[in-house]
Amino acid sequence: MKKFIFFIFVILFSSKSFAVVTIDITRGNLEPLPTAISNFYIDNPEKFSEKMKALKLEENLPKVIKGNLMRSGLFYVLDNKSYIQQPKLSHLKPRFEDWRLIKAQIMVSGKLKIDEKNRLRVEFRLWDVVSAKEIEGLALFATPSSWRRIAHIISDKIYQRLTGEEGYFDTRIIYVAESGPKTQRIKKLAIMDQDGANNKFLTLGNELVLTPRFSPNGKMVTYMSYFKNLPRVYLLNIETGIQEVVGDFPGMTFAPRFSPDGKKVIMSFARDGNSDIYTMDIESRRVEQITSNPAIDTSPSFSPDGRFIVFNSDRSGFQQIYVMRSDGRGVKRISRGKGLYGTPVWSPRGDLIAFTKINKGKFYIGVMRTDGTGERLLTQNFYQEAPSWSPNGRVLIFYRETASGKKGQGASANLWAVDITGYNEVKIKTPTDASDPSWSGLLSK
Amino acid sequence: MFRSLSLSIIFHVGIFAITFFTLPFIVKKPIDVPPIISIDLIQISEKTALPFAPKAKEIIDKIKEEKEKERVVTKQAPPKIVKKEKQDAVPMPDQIKKKKPKQTDKQNPEEIKDEIRQSSEFEKKELFDPNKIAALIDKSKEESATINKKESLEITQDQDSTVSLDKGLSITQEDAIKAQIFKCWNIPLGLPYNEDLTVRIRLKLNKDGSILSSEVLDHVRMNRPGQGFYKVLAESALRAVRLCNPLKMPATGHDKWKDLQLNFDAKEMLKG
Amino acid sequence: MLTKNIRNFAIITVLGFLVSACATGGKRSAEDWYTGSDTVKFLASGVPDRVFFATNKSSVHSAAKETLAKQAAYIKSSGISVVIEGHADERGTREYNLALGERRANAVRDYLMSQGVSGGKITVISYGKERPVNPESSRLAWSQNRRSVTIKAK
Repeated sequence: MKKFIFFIFVILFSSKSFAVVTIDITRGNLEPLPTAISNFYIDNPEKFSEKMKALKLEENLPKVIKGNLMRSGLFYVLDNKSYIQQPKLSHLKPRFEDWRLIKAQIMVSGKLKIDEKNRLRVEFRLWDVVSAKEIEGLALFATPSSWRRIAHIISDKIYQRLTGEEGYFDTRIIYVAESGPKTQRIKKLAIMDQDGANNKFLTLGNELVLTPRFSPNGKMVTYMSYFKNLPRVYLLNIETGIQEVVGDFPGMTFAPRFSPDGKKVIMSFARDGNSDIYTMDIESRRVEQITSNPAIDTSPSFSPDGRFIVFNSDRSGFQQIYVMRSDGRGVKRISRGKGLYGTPVWSPRGDLIAFTKINKGKFYIGVMRTDGTGERLLTQNFYQEAPSWSPNGRVLIFYRETASGKKGQGASANLWAVDITGYNEVKIKTPTDASDPSWSGLLSK
Repeated sequence: MFRSLSLSIIFHVGIFAITFFTLPFIVKKPIDVPPIISIDLIQISEKTALPFAPKAKEIIDKIKEEKEKERVVTKQAPPKIVKKEKQDAVPMPDQIKKKKPKQTDKQNPEEIKDEIRQSSEFEKKELFDPNKIAALIDKSKEESATINKKESLEITQDQDSTVSLDKGLSITQEDAIKAQIFKCWNIPLGLPYNEDLTVRIRLKLNKDGSILSSEVLDHVRMNRPGQGFYKVLAESALRAVRLCNPLKMPATGHDKWKDLQLNFDAKEMLKG
Repeated sequence: MLTKNIRNFAIITVLGFLVSACATGGKRSAEDWYTGSDTVKFLASGVPDRVFFATNKSSVHSAAKETLAKQAAYIKSSGISVVIEGHADERGTREYNLALGERRANAVRDYLMSQGVSGGKITVISYGKERPVNPESSRLAWSQNRRSVTIKAK
């Protein structure tokens, strides 16, 4: 019995001293993930027409993927001049040592083929070079002309597999293309892929157009136009090009957005010097007044579940951010810091509200929690405003204007994007000056 | 506006004039300086060193020995690494450019052979059959479990009277391992910093520090729906461990550190 | 010695307060409307076509009231209809500036109506910050852009 008790004690104590050595790893490097994207290879080149061959998809498809991943700031794509293995071999069975030599941790390979139905079939594989295994593989079919969308969908898959987050590359951006002197700016509605490709103008520039926003399904746009010198909110169908004025308001309507179910337009209506928030049901045309306050109430934005609205009001004497229920009750101020706050917009993930802040002559883009706590300023500039969320709630696109000289020289407006952690500020290329950007949802949804 | 500006200027000038005349009066007063105390800097070890308890002294001497051995180990380690690099092809990317023209000549006739070789490897070894790999992992889990049981029983039977104070690795040794892993771990930047994500990896190490087996302790969680972030973090941790293979470990005391558990927690770094 | 120092300190403190009180910084936002004559056009001989506003404000100050009284007299006597444009400077967010321009234009309209101009003769439009008269990024330019312009309706 004594021996047994001794045995127990010894086990208890010995298990402590011969326990597994445990070390906490709390640091690493925050470098973008080193990635290699091999050129794709063409499986049956004899079936590719001259026109198809001219597209050089084996090079250009990976190029688009590379651009997307690099711009996200989370990946570093190694120059393919340093790659050792040929595309065909890297797709069948990569020699991982070759890829480890150039310090890649992840490798993307792909194959292009014209199938029996004359469709373009794109197959890609994602390899974990370090652990020497395939971690994702997918085949996609499309018409050759939509090859860019395939590249974006592949980019989204890679992004999701390696970050855990949904991607945002298969999306479009609508914005206002600007040109001309500052005192007489010409503004047109423009739409483009999120990487700047496929840029198209939607209006001619004969009247001012401002603040365009996508509908949740990406097929409609609501915006404000000075058509016939009457500033009103309009709806535009992107495919048909048909425009129509929203409602029959006897005064200026502006700052429009869609509700999350796409059925209503929410906007400001100004009358006798007072601006209040109204909604209009697109089908029934029923108009509802949401705020009724002598102060300026504008820039309304729905929460993704449609239950709340965040908006900008100067009812305290200065521009601040407020949240209310979608019926207009329960108005609560949420902005707390010093300075003026404007352009609040609710994240599609529901967790954050992005805004513009003006303090001591400086403009900031920031985020705060939906109760106003946790305010973080992401970037500062001479002039910047109007953030819009990527569909995964990670990236904000906004616009900046530069200061101009005596005759307006040096004036320029450009689109910029920043990650919600505040790093990876990038300029978005547009063919002209640009402002008022708005991000669509994922096109594939 | 001009009225207030001129008033302001007048008053500013007035203040300058007054301070110019009054400051000397204020400065002139002598300050009472406290007397200077001279201080002797005493080495604590010389004056206050207490004799160690005999058991404790033994352990501290052991640690000192190991530290010296470790210094020897680290001196030896670099030459090993250099040798390895020379055996493989030169890894520098810019040097690869020069080599490429030579390689392409060779590759054309060799390409067919490679393909055949590789496809036969494919069929024979079936390296990419995920089911088989899963089976292997499960087996190894069972094996390691039985080995652990056996070992713990053996240990209790041989129980010594000297119980070591530390866990098998000194703090400096732990720091050395941490430093290695820190360099190898590429933290996925997209992870949320407000979620509880810690990945625990159990390693079995050989005497030379190379990894015998690695296992994510909570690997069932990796494949659960909604645990995308955990999976991403676990995979990054596994890559870190594999990139750091072989780990630089002390030359002795293999029994103490052959079972290593690394807890990967990115919270601090992501908070920024 | 001590009393001398106290006296010196007191003098400096008092003067310091006086100086800071006279500084224009605190009053600036309430008084920074444009008071010059550049960019001002004329509705009719002797009738300036515009009034200016302080930053973020839409109140009609005394100098503006003088101008508007002249405008009102002219509008009534000539029987013309007018459009009142409200504008804002570039140092604010676009949507809020549209609302602010509308408020300014309406403040002018309200004053003209208080001077006897019939509401039916007045239309109001806001251009926010979209149509500055001075493209420079300077305090002066911004004060010239914070305006409400009365135009003969077509």
